[in-house]
Amino acid sequence: MSIAFCIPFIGILLCIAVMPLVKGEWWEKHQPLVAGFWSLLLIIPFGIVFGAGETLEVVLECIIGDYLSFIVLLFGLFCVSGNITLEGDLAGSPRVNIILLTIGTLLSSLIGTTGSSMLMVRPVLKMNAWRRHRKHIMVFFIFLVSNIGGCLTPIGDPPLLMGFSRGVPFSWSLHLFPILLFNMAVLLFVFYWVDRKKYCREIARGRVPDISRPGTRISIGGLHNLIFIVMIVGAVVLSGILPDLPAFKTAEGTVKGIHIYGEVMLTYPAVIEMAIILLAAFLSFKTTSETIRQKNHFTWGAIKEVAVLFAGIFITMQPALMLLKSVGGSLGLTKPVQMFWVTGALSSFLDNTPTYLVFLTTSGAMDFTQGIATTLGKIPVGMLTAISCGAVFMGANTYIGNAPNFMVKAISDENGIHMPSFFGYILWSLCILIPVFLLDTLVFFL
Amino acid sequence: MVCTQEELRSSKHDEKELRVLAERIYDLDTKVYTCLGSSLGRVFTKDRERCVNELVWEMLARNQGHIVRSDLALISNMARTIRDRQVKKELMTEYDKILTEVTSLPTSFAEGDVLNEERSRLNKTSLHTRFSENDHTVICIGRTFGSGGSEIGFTLADKLQINYYDAEIFSEVLRRLDAERDNVYDKGGFPYILDQENKDRYVDTRPAFMTEQKVTLGRKFKDFGRYHGLPKKDAVFFNQSQLICDMAKKEDFVVMGRCADVILANNNIPHISIYITAPFEQRLRRVMSVNPSLSEKKAREMLKRLDRKHVKYFKFYTGLEWGKAMNYDLCINSASYGIQGSVDMILRMFNEA
Repeated sequence: MSIAFCIPFIGILLCIAVMPLVKGEWWEKHQPLVAGFWSLLLIIPFGIVFGAGETLEVVLECIIGDYLSFIVLLFGLFCVSGNITLEGDLAGSPRVNIILLTIGTLLSSLIGTTGSSMLMVRPVLKMNAWRRHRKHIMVFFIFLVSNIGGCLTPIGDPPLLMGFSRGVPFSWSLHLFPILLFNMAVLLFVFYWVDRKKYCREIARGRVPDISRPGTRISIGGLHNLIFIVMIVGAVVLSGILPDLPAFKTAEGTVKGIHIYGEVMLTYPAVIEMAIILLAAFLSFKTTSETIRQKNHFTWGAIKEVAVLFAGIFITMQPALMLLKSVGGSLGLTKPVQMFWVTGALSSFLDNTPTYLVFLTTSGAMDFTQGIATTLGKIPVGMLTAISCGAVFMGANTYIGNAPNFMVKAISDENGIHMPSFFGYILWSLCILIPVFLLDTLVFFL
Repeated sequence: MVCTQEELRSSKHDEKELRVLAERIYDLDTKVYTCLGSSLGRVFTKDRERCVNELVWEMLARNQGHIVRSDLALISNMARTIRDRQVKKELMTEYDKILTEVTSLPTSFAEGDVLNEERSRLNKTSLHTRFSENDHTVICIGRTFGSGGSEIGFTLADKLQINYYDAEIFSEVLRRLDAERDNVYDKGGFPYILDQENKDRYVDTRPAFMTEQKVTLGRKFKDFGRYHGLPKKDAVFFNQSQLICDMAKKEDFVVMGRCADVILANNNIPHISIYITAPFEQRLRRVMSVNPSLSEKKAREMLKRLDRKHVKYFKFYTGLEWGKAMNYDLCINSASYGIQGSVDMILRMFNEA
């Protein structure tokens, strides 16, 4: 596999980074065209080199095996959370924001980073509506709620769910709590001072929240939708459990499913997961008043943008993932610190689930005699911790590192916040996250 | 900088046109918000007049034009999500027109630019053009503890026969917040106790910047709800700001401290700002003469502490340096003029205007 096949992936990333800055309106209208263009730029040469059959199989595997369940989950959570509205006159101040980010971060491990992000993003936007400079709040929201918070359970982030389905005990990731706590403390401390500075600037310019009524009134509309969120979380857990049940396995040990093409299968557990999620979204819409969506300024724009761009990203990143699978074992990564940074660096740009799996497999194949027993072999706690943290934490480094990142950006853009550009966001990561990860390295991985 | 009459007329004309443009921008945001039926994402969240004034300033400032374009982009982001195609088309057409006009505005400084027309108008040394017929006379006095500023303010209000506000503002804020007096401290100033006759008016107030008592967790939770999640002092300040602006639209008055000058300037409300201070030793002597029981050491420490806290308070809420001459219309060293002399000087300035 030539590295030249990665050019379309770099191309689409550059488009996401540069086009909104140089030709914003054109970009918004022609995203599907651009995603299609770069996908074809991969598919056609790939077809010429490896043959049409092989290419079709790779594309279908990517679309059906990975993208479909990814986008259905995102869609479900987007729909259900859009039907929950929080009304009230709690004023966004550094203190309130710290509380919201803490709740969101802890919630991420319970209902997943996507679920927590979708549920918390609008309340955060609403409470800070009186402020003009809010992008830093959303950047830290992405750092903590959309990524780091998901490290405690397999529900939190897909890579950990993948680890669970490979034999890592469900409760094992709770051991990451001290690391989560450390990261939260450092990031929230930094956030407090950044937010306080911006908050003071707002006050100095004469901006004040509307607190004319004594006392705070908070009401939540569409609260029953929490049931549907639980339903979606249940579906995600099932997708990790069902493939191991004998009823879903063939005599050869592969997971049963609908045969699509070549070795591409739409597995029954995936069908069940998607059916439950779509049912939850449908029921949520049927049982919630239109006015709640109106209050939430619910539109399809954000999910449409993510669906289109990530379709392109998923297809074009296949060569990079294939390369990673072929060379992952020979990279000579033997220490947790190496695992943390390499898994993390790659998870920043590639899908973190396959990245996690590549390095989990690599570690499992190292014939360690002590550690966590998985279906891939024994993996020392230090190695597993480093791989898990790298994959989960460093998804926050870029907008495309984790799906909720882009969703939060798109929803914020649509609701009165000028989010940083692709490179602007990376600059935030470089200035804030990377030093925190260096601290993590010193404290936990050396 | 001296402007010719023609330049002044031309600048007025520009401002008038920009005001119309600013009103159109504000109206566009309002229409988009009404169509969407959600306040989430609304670009201009304050009252019309204030937002229009800000927009005019941003357009006049030339180097701030990008903020207006950025606001417009946010409005268009929202407008694009409108479902009704006809309405969306109308609003986007209006957006395009406005954007064309905003883009054509000059973006770099030209010779003779005045950054903030509103602010500069407020800060002219001659006061005769500052207040229109509809404006009320508002005198904001900032002062250091022990400089006799409160007494000067009180005498001035008495001479001008206008109201004097200090602790009353704080009491009204407490009423608005439905707060318990024991639990909130007046950090905006040091209320003045003139004499026994007037003491009742101020008897409830606490010493300024007094260290707060430790509060229980239960109390913290209660306060969190009561003050909209804001720190208590911020909730008081925000209410105080609103109250001062409301009052300035209704009556003439002298107001002591509370960052009132900056609050009014931020809201483009005409006022006169005065800062009164005196050399440290003079203030020390005055503090000790008012409080004979206070030792010199304690009085010195108290003065230093109060100055420090006042600087911090002012910086936090205004972003400006407390006591820096450029932030005021008039700075007085009360030690040079005495209380009556200071009052006379302010009155002379006022009457000549």
